[in-house]
Amino acid sequence: MVDIRLNATINGRKVSRDAKPHLRLLDFLRDDLNLTGNKEGCGAGECGTCSVFVDGVLMKSCLMPVAKAQGAQIDTIESLAKSGELSVLQKAFHKAGASQCGYCIPGMVMAATAALRANPFADREEIKERLGGNICRCTGYQKIFDAVELARDVQNGRLPATALLETDTADGEVIGKSVRRIDAPSKVSGRLKYAGDMTMPGMLYVQVLRSPHAHARIVSIDTSAALAMEGVESVITSADVPGKDGFGVFVHDQPIMARDKVRYVGEAIAAVAAEDALTAKRAVAAIKVVYERLVPVFDPDEAMRVGAAVVHDYAPDNITKHIPIRVGDVEAGFAESDLVIEENYSTQAIEHAYLEPEAGLAYVDHDDVVTVVSPSQNITHHRHMLARIIARPISKVRFIMSPVGGGFGGKEDMIYQGMLALLAMKTMRPVRLVYTREESIISTAKRHPSRTTLRMGVMRDGRIRALAMRMVCDGGAYGLSTEGVMRKAAILAAGPYNIPNVRIDTFGIYTNNTPSGAFRSFGALQTQFATESHLDIIAERLGLDPFEIRRINAMRDGATTHTKQKLGSVSLMRALDAAEQASGWEAGAPAVRGPTRGDLAHDDVRPSVTLGARFGADDTQEAAE
Amino acid sequence: MARKRGRGMAACWYGIARTATIDRAAAWAEIDDGGSAKIVTGVTEIGEGILTVLAQIAAHEIGVKPEHVVIGDNDTARAPEAAHAGASRQTYMVGNVVALASREARQRLVDVMAEMWDVSAETIRTGNGEIWAENTNHRISMGEAVACAKNRGVVPIGSATFGTDTTGIMDGKGGDGSGRPWQAYVFGCQVAEVEVDTITGEVQVLAVWAAHDVGRAVNPQGVEGQIEGGIVQAIGQALMEDYQLNDGHTSTSGFAKYILPTSLDVPRVNSIIIEDPDPIGPLGVKGIGEPAMVPTIPAVMNAIYDAVGVRVFDLPATPEKILLAMREKARREATMAMQAAE
Repeated sequence: MVDIRLNATINGRKVSRDAKPHLRLLDFLRDDLNLTGNKEGCGAGECGTCSVFVDGVLMKSCLMPVAKAQGAQIDTIESLAKSGELSVLQKAFHKAGASQCGYCIPGMVMAATAALRANPFADREEIKERLGGNICRCTGYQKIFDAVELARDVQNGRLPATALLETDTADGEVIGKSVRRIDAPSKVSGRLKYAGDMTMPGMLYVQVLRSPHAHARIVSIDTSAALAMEGVESVITSADVPGKDGFGVFVHDQPIMARDKVRYVGEAIAAVAAEDALTAKRAVAAIKVVYERLVPVFDPDEAMRVGAAVVHDYAPDNITKHIPIRVGDVEAGFAESDLVIEENYSTQAIEHAYLEPEAGLAYVDHDDVVTVVSPSQNITHHRHMLARIIARPISKVRFIMSPVGGGFGGKEDMIYQGMLALLAMKTMRPVRLVYTREESIISTAKRHPSRTTLRMGVMRDGRIRALAMRMVCDGGAYGLSTEGVMRKAAILAAGPYNIPNVRIDTFGIYTNNTPSGAFRSFGALQTQFATESHLDIIAERLGLDPFEIRRINAMRDGATTHTKQKLGSVSLMRALDAAEQASGWEAGAPAVRGPTRGDLAHDDVRPSVTLGARFGADDTQEAAE
Repeated sequence: MARKRGRGMAACWYGIARTATIDRAAAWAEIDDGGSAKIVTGVTEIGEGILTVLAQIAAHEIGVKPEHVVIGDNDTARAPEAAHAGASRQTYMVGNVVALASREARQRLVDVMAEMWDVSAETIRTGNGEIWAENTNHRISMGEAVACAKNRGVVPIGSATFGTDTTGIMDGKGGDGSGRPWQAYVFGCQVAEVEVDTITGEVQVLAVWAAHDVGRAVNPQGVEGQIEGGIVQAIGQALMEDYQLNDGHTSTSGFAKYILPTSLDVPRVNSIIIEDPDPIGPLGVKGIGEPAMVPTIPAVMNAIYDAVGVRVFDLPATPEKILLAMREKARREATMAMQAAE
């Protein structure tokens, strides 16, 4: 294809450059002009972090072919703080604590700038609507709304500009004060370089071939056609791994690329390093793999049955980990209970959806140190594992943690760093890999889906006598953090309550699904969802207020946990009191009191949203529309 | 009225730092020329605000302003190990060890000044970029003090390591799970207020009151940010997010199909920070990243039940599931009414 000549005004400067016609505006800005402030989060116009102004209109630059920008005036996040002086809105983001990982923030700042340009007096609800096309995974949006409201008020003169300044620490005390985030200026201005923003001279581009099958034997891999292509520097498979292959947080059961067989759809099989990303993609398509399909197993309960397909030979029962907790005599506890209730609960697989897809850069330095720069949540452990995999002394392996654009546990796995290191060693050139959103979703860990059976026995006065829980989790194709998740899930399963008889079993099971791994709240979310739902069911049956049943059973100072650990101070009663008072909770048994409650719709409750297809809005809301 | 409101609550507990193993972290500190502080430790921001927290801690311990603290990059070849960024451990493990390293660096400087001024080291105070001896007129800037130290051949540095007194749990065959998995525990409680549209089945979470023990809040705005973000992630799991697999192939490989909470889905979060200091670490801090999202889902499910009398046992509580459950409930009640009439 012939290059196009693009003439445009970008951040106030005339630009006249040749560009590949297949590029999106985002690629042209980031790769050709090195304007990396705006990020790519999804490549499909859904997350908004790539948002720029085109002739003053907010546009998602991942959806715009570069040729469409011919003659246009384009402003990126870099245009807002040109000489380093942040705009009022950027200062407000800094002051309000509106940035966390920062990866969505360039687009969020652009969208918020557009919102206040469209309506300088927009109220909070209108601000929310105008930011509706931008996803943030860290902040919960509240501080972003606060920031936009602060900027609005400063711009309108309702608040002085000093409202944007640092909290006063003149008394010398800095702990306990909301000191502004030191990393915020670089995030609100787009100056912070994430791994996918970094380049090195001579850098090669990496692409990965992934499995289309959930369970198959690899009969052969033919990389000769890919290797013969012009611009291709190296193609690697598991056969190129020089050391003892295998990574994982607890059990090292996952090769850096599939070895002998594939265990899930999306598993890496081979990787290519080439002069540009397009050549690397073409080379990936030229790799020929012959598979022999194997019977897969997708359901963890089926996987536990005798005769089920075996995912890993070392675990013929497909059990990655079983964690037991035992206190007292649980059957005797049920026998003496006045009321025994059993229910089943289940939770789904959840994607971390950090806005920054996986990315990394690797090189071999002047001292022969294999160096990997990536948003890894655990460079210490990754270094240990990589040294063994590439058979180098640990002093010759170096990990640098780049700024993490959201992790939530999902970046604890060394899912791609091994391939990068190997390609850097093979080519002796810097190599960079940036995942697409789709690659990130199909190939990286999820929150463990769970099935839980919970049985609880209580006395009429609300005291819990016995608790039995069995949770089966789908750990997917590889172990990753499953063992630890099962452990934490079990230890915390029964909640912060004194229960004399406890039997808990959590099972992490191998299947041919996308692997499950570490995810913020690490198993405790699944088990405590069941326990805390169950307590309300029991409270209704006993006619007890939900706070009351928890207070009756609450651990107090000096309590002994279900793992027989003696605690010191226990703040549970303080937390219960504080939430009850702050919410103005009206006491009563949880027996569908909603229609008659007197504690609803206080000032600290947001109005309900009336956008979209809604029916039967009540009179007040109709009046407001 | 087609939209019904309700409230629900749930409590939680959580362990801080690595589970059922000994956790550890290390840091180096230097009081640098000009009276700034340099902290090197194996930690990088993952968005939670740890760099700011560490700057505040170092500033507090050394006696400089937070903006005069520089934090080195996380690099296995250049920084001491602080282990991983997860397990709600950074403020606890890395915060505490930075405090200890900063104290040691400060002590080096204080010892030099005590000798120079011929006063007891115990009478020396630092704060706000200055160092002085109580009940004397000795008071100079930290920058001047660093120059004094260096003129005497002393570079004011410190280093520290911080480990936990924890054990594995007995989870082998026949084990009862006993052990000391953590040395710091936190507790929390949340109340949720929801509105359920009985025609569409859609649930809106309008407010959450969240009370969480964090030990000691180094940066209250940062703590709120963790609570707000955690609650919204949990609401995603409670109501909409669902990674779907069909024979191992996902049908939710983008954000058009994998639905995430946006600005219009989020409740007003009212955070209440509780400080029950950790007695073991030097700072009293604990953690908040993960516990913030534990009680949200059951609180929301309990609130939906309060509003419309149906309980969702299998997440997420999509409009379809709510409607189906409401229809089943109506059918059940109609049957019971008929039976009662007979």
